[in-house]
Amino acid sequence: MNPRVIVDRLVVFVLVIAGWQLCSSYFGTIWFSSPWRVLDRFIDELRSGDLFFQAAYTLKAALYGSLLGGIPAALLPFALRRRPVAGAILDPYFVGGYGVPKLALAPLFILWFGVDLEPKVALVASIVSFLVFFSTTAGVNAVNSQYVNVARVFGATERDIARHIVWPGAIPYAFAGFRIAAPYAIGAAVVGELISSNRGLGFLIQSGATDFDTTLVFVSLTTLTMIVIVVNLLVGRCERWLLRWRPAQRGLTSKVIGA
Amino acid sequence: MSSAVPMLEVKGLAKRFPPRSGQAESPWILADLSFHVADQEFLTMVGPSGAGKSTLLNIIAQVDGANEGKIFFRGELIETANGSALHPGWNCQFGYVTQDDNLLPWRTMIDNVTLPLKLQGRFDAAARKRVDELLHATHLTGFERYYPHELSGGMRKRASLIRTLAYDPPIILMDEPFSAVDAQTRTQLQQDLLRLWNLGRKTIVFVTHDIAEAIALGDRVLVLSKSPAKIVADHRIDIKRPRDLGNLYKLEGFGDIFESVRRDLQ
Repeated sequence: MNPRVIVDRLVVFVLVIAGWQLCSSYFGTIWFSSPWRVLDRFIDELRSGDLFFQAAYTLKAALYGSLLGGIPAALLPFALRRRPVAGAILDPYFVGGYGVPKLALAPLFILWFGVDLEPKVALVASIVSFLVFFSTTAGVNAVNSQYVNVARVFGATERDIARHIVWPGAIPYAFAGFRIAAPYAIGAAVVGELISSNRGLGFLIQSGATDFDTTLVFVSLTTLTMIVIVVNLLVGRCERWLLRWRPAQRGLTSKVIGA
Repeated sequence: MSSAVPMLEVKGLAKRFPPRSGQAESPWILADLSFHVADQEFLTMVGPSGAGKSTLLNIIAQVDGANEGKIFFRGELIETANGSALHPGWNCQFGYVTQDDNLLPWRTMIDNVTLPLKLQGRFDAAARKRVDELLHATHLTGFERYYPHELSGGMRKRASLIRTLAYDPPIILMDEPFSAVDAQTRTQLQQDLLRLWNLGRKTIVFVTHDIAEAIALGDRVLVLSKSPAKIVADHRIDIKRPRDLGNLYKLEGFGDIFESVRRDLQ
């Protein structure tokens, strides 16, 4: 990377920390914890292992929810490709389902699934599934019909076409869906914990705020930010490996997310 | 040259696409189009842009249906208008080299070339050897593991060509396969094609809008009219092979044929 960019990034980082410190001095550390306090507390919480425990709980909800919601949602468009009538019938329901504000479902999920991991997984799944579904559907629809025609001529069956043409062509789109969904997944897990939980980073934020312990709130927020960055990097790596056949270009979502 | 039964025979083919909304009837693209190709014959068809050349090949390859007419392969009726389901490629008897190379971007060059063989369950030792020979003949050896975007336009064309040659269909349809490359590469590709054709003689139906290309490559040139397309002339090309494609205008008789084809096209 350009050294100039690295230097400028550091400058921005210092400015952000300075702004933070300024806010903290102005409003008082009760309302706005300072960077030093947060760093100090962060190391303490890491040492005690508590931060790992809480972060792991949140991550578990986000991961299970993403898999539970994302995998069927990535496969469904392939099933619907050969069944255009079913697709046409279901389409308005998918659009409607996408429009429902999922976070508003949290109380219902808590009612149904209790206060442990299950309602958070359900909440995450409900958000991730729609994002991945619509993204993958776009990929399945974008399949190059010329590839399909040529493949039919040289003897490809419908199964071969799905496997060798539609599937590889749609993978970038499915991945874009997962990448966009990743921060939402973690966000949904946290919101689930904010509403009702005795574990997780969301719970930590909630209890910190209740105790006027803004340092704890900031520690949790910082941890969440770092988790989202790392998850994005991992998904990006995975994507780049799977899509190594593509000309060197920035991914579909990297422009948005910047990983 | 021609045996009793032609390799491929097209009779009275007509085609039009469904009318657009607000249109009572759509125009005919092909009308009463008939021709035949003998075994091992290199037939070229030349016609103005928009004459329905690609449509014609799509119908022969059975990726599209006709409204009227019949197609015979070795005397056997394989397609009737508005009949039963299409059989693209007629069970791998027809190869189709399209205008775009249509290599799958996520497969390496060699994986693209061998895909038809693999899907047909015929990728055995003999096929492997054949693929190696074709790669060698088209100077693609050493580029097997490259992805299509890493190859030059000419290389992609050659890869697309040998993908079809590798599974050895008796008839190969070619739709302006060399139209999107520069003139020099194009001559090279034409030479390669003629050399490959000479190695294992196939029946080829080669469609182009380039008169010189049609004459340089073909045993016979059919001239298509403007849409609705039908055959307006049939020229036998007696220029002896091998032909030096770098010096077309020095080939004996080239100028005369060129002139008469050009007149037919008007």
